[in-house]
Amino acid sequence: MATILIVEDEIPINELIKRSLQLVGHRCISVFDGKAAITEIERQTYDLILLDVMLPELDGFQVLETIRNIPTIFLTARSSLSDRVKGLTMGADDYLTKPFEMLELLARVDAVLRRTLKDSHCYQLDNIRIDLDSRQIFDNGQLVECTPQEFELLNVLIKNRNIALSREKLLQLAWGYAYEGDTRTVDVHIQKLRKKLRLEERIKTVYKLGYRLEV
Amino acid sequence: MKLKTYLMTLMLFLLFFNGSIFIFSVVTLKSSMDSLRERSLAEHYFIVSALSKDLFAVENRGTPLQPAMQTLFQSYSKYYAKQNVLLEISKDGQPLYSTVPEEERLTGKSDVPAAGTRTVTMQKSKSKEYIKISGQLPAPYQAYALAYLYDLSEAAASWNRMTTTLFAIGMILSALLAASLLLLLTRIFKPLKQFSMASRSIAKGEYGNRLNVAGHDELAEMAESFNEMAGEIQNQMKQLAAAVEQRQRFIDNLAHELRTPLTSIYGYAEYIQKAPVTDEDKLTATDYIMSESRRLQNIAFRLLELASLRHSEIKREEVVIAELFRSTEATIRLKASMNEVELKWSSKIDKLAGDRDLLESLLLNLTDNAVKACGPGGRVELSAYWEDGKKVISVQDNGKGMTEEQLSHITEAFYRADPSRSRKDGGAGLGLALCEQIAFCHGAELAFSSHPGSGTAVKVTFTTST
Repeated sequence: MATILIVEDEIPINELIKRSLQLVGHRCISVFDGKAAITEIERQTYDLILLDVMLPELDGFQVLETIRNIPTIFLTARSSLSDRVKGLTMGADDYLTKPFEMLELLARVDAVLRRTLKDSHCYQLDNIRIDLDSRQIFDNGQLVECTPQEFELLNVLIKNRNIALSREKLLQLAWGYAYEGDTRTVDVHIQKLRKKLRLEERIKTVYKLGYRLEV
Repeated sequence: MKLKTYLMTLMLFLLFFNGSIFIFSVVTLKSSMDSLRERSLAEHYFIVSALSKDLFAVENRGTPLQPAMQTLFQSYSKYYAKQNVLLEISKDGQPLYSTVPEEERLTGKSDVPAAGTRTVTMQKSKSKEYIKISGQLPAPYQAYALAYLYDLSEAAASWNRMTTTLFAIGMILSALLAASLLLLLTRIFKPLKQFSMASRSIAKGEYGNRLNVAGHDELAEMAESFNEMAGEIQNQMKQLAAAVEQRQRFIDNLAHELRTPLTSIYGYAEYIQKAPVTDEDKLTATDYIMSESRRLQNIAFRLLELASLRHSEIKREEVVIAELFRSTEATIRLKASMNEVELKWSSKIDKLAGDRDLLESLLLNLTDNAVKACGPGGRVELSAYWEDGKKVISVQDNGKGMTEEQLSHITEAFYRADPSRSRKDGGAGLGLALCEQIAFCHGAELAFSSHPGSGTAVKVTFTTST
């Protein structure tokens, strides 16, 4: 989907971010210090940069000064307000504090990319095409009738593909915080989606956890 | 204060000044009156005796008494009228001849003075005041009495003039004094005003303000001690700010040190739980979880060690330094040879009193740091020797060295010379903080000297140990 540069000197965290982003189909390049980041930015174009603040050679703020027209999300272990304000006023698009959850990282990356990437918001899954703008689903070019709630659930699954989502999380993401329904509602809708779109093999039930759309 | 002092001083001065003028004029009045009285008495005596002599002479020539007396009185009174003196001759209390004007004529019958005595009275007529001396003429004219009236109005007028002049001069002087007193007090109180301004600015937090010290009086002394106080406050505030800053840095660093491994641990656990992972992925993830957990554990242990050292007494036993060096070398040798660093030691001291485990930990930390600072071909030297009667253990390397700025922070917990706080060299960043605590427990001082590029030397000087 997008090409993302990860600038983070802690190898385990760098690797973790890379793996998380690759799950939803992003292409990732890892660098471990500020100088390498600048060389990498000059070498090719990126859709997004995830930038740690404390880096060897050049720190995140210095790297940010050289970046032009590339959306940037700051990563930092410092959560003080002044640090956050500094990052945002310098032109960062968002700010992520360690420790963070995978879903939070993906949501923020998705939000920034949605603002900046102007490509067609379509997703192809086997012979099913999902148009995210017109909120329509096509099976081999044939429009498939589905309720807004079913579409929203599929949208959430696609956005977080390859990641297991608990029923509670799905309720929260697809129905909203205000919805006070039973988690059984999720099961019912999942069954409908599987049947309508022949996704029995794609939407997996994860034991004791929830569902995962595997791609 | 200034206004009060001014008013009080001015009032006191005016009181005493005008009081003195008043007393002076009263005394002057009294003495001039006295002298006038004396003079009048003398004159009266002179006139009386001269008159009686003349009368005697005239009578001897056969001139009747009455006309002779009248003629003589006229010539006398004419002469004395020029001197503001009125004369009156009376017989048995009834005035015979008088130059006292009718309207000035004193009311009532004047007493006839006793023989041989004279009376002095102050007489006040309608507009004038007189000093009146009356006395009998000597025998054989004792039936007659002469009254001598001296007009006081001129003396009174001149006294009035003098008093008025004195008070006028007094007023001018008072005004001058008031002005100069105000100037003087303003000058004297100027330093006090500066004091209050300086203290106010210090209260506002501008600790750099100082007073100008001029001269050697009490005010200068006070200004000096005030400046000393301000300096002390400034110092204390600086220290306090530094302590607060160091504390904040410690908290920030601790947060960073805890958050970084926690991010990995939580992240990889979440990854295993939610992502479709292969066995290999699972192994990598669990590896990371384990190594990052170890890192957290390391930090926790080190912090605990630091905290417990801070609150406990150490045991003191005889430690053989050669053994200490040998065991340190044994522990570090593998790492040193892997980094191609040469390790040497030499000792000129036999024993040291202290906690063996802690001393070994201290030495291990310092040596480990030294080895890390060296590249291939580096040398690390441990030595123990006497210096100024004190035992010294030193660890010297020829590695990359540090700047002054870095040196001043290295014993702070979690401080890393590398601004990125990278853990490439490993360690929790608590080693030197621990070393300093161990040295402190042994009554020893830790001193670092270093230059970028030319290596670092650490000296542990045991000041109290024997």
